[in-house]
Amino acid sequence: MDFLKTIAIAASGLRAQSGRMRVLSENIANADSTAPRPDADPFRRRIPTFSTSFDRALDARVVALGKIKTDSSQFRVKYEPGHPSADANGNVKYPNVNPLIEMSDMRDAQRSYEANVNVIGVTRRMIQRTLDILKA
Amino acid sequence: MPISDMPIFSMLRTKMLWHQERQRLLAENVANADTPKFTPRDLVPLNLDQTRAPQGSVTLVRTNPGHIGDSPGGGPPGFRLDRKLDFESRPSGNAVGLEDEMLKVASNAMDYQAATALYTRGLALIKTALGRG
Repeated sequence: MDFLKTIAIAASGLRAQSGRMRVLSENIANADSTAPRPDADPFRRRIPTFSTSFDRALDARVVALGKIKTDSSQFRVKYEPGHPSADANGNVKYPNVNPLIEMSDMRDAQRSYEANVNVIGVTRRMIQRTLDILKA
Repeated sequence: MPISDMPIFSMLRTKMLWHQERQRLLAENVANADTPKFTPRDLVPLNLDQTRAPQGSVTLVRTNPGHIGDSPGGGPPGFRLDRKLDFESRPSGNAVGLEDEMLKVASNAMDYQAATALYTRGLALIKTALGRG
């Protein structure tokens, strides 16, 4: 039945968006994770990507979470001489995570997630209407 | 003669199949709303004169698949993809507008509901004719 395929496509969107939220929440949780040693790097921001693949069984273009890449931008540096991870000059490297960007990205993911949920709800109602013909 | 062969029921059946196919395409668009370089797809509006299977009426014989009226390859069976869809791409190359897609999903569901309601009415009409309404 084609409606079940529709629901499966929307479910692939839900999976991809929730995977994106997982990566974003990792970033937010580690926004202040400094390196264990002065010479090591702190947590590096991770970026989720999406990729479209053709599902033969569904005969449709479904979406999946692609490779999770790392952000190569500069780390934030703060002057904290007493910090255990401070280098010789007293500078501490903090992760290149900006919580504001992560939160707005999270909102975007939430919006896309809700859209997919909405499609599933509408499709379920359409199946219900089809079954209602039997009751007539 | 099966019920689904009666003109009104076969028309409604085609319409319901069209909405089902369109719902699948719209779900694809929404699921890929954040995929780079993805362009949304939609079906051309249903034209029952073209898609209705000729039954007992006089039509020209199609001796070549290129003749008008036959569904071209690539699209879903019987329904053609809308090639003239206009959309705006975002910097990522993605061209799905979630608002537009949600509107289409809602209107698609409403039209489908109208078709099933008409189908139910048609069945009730037959029951009345049988004297069991």
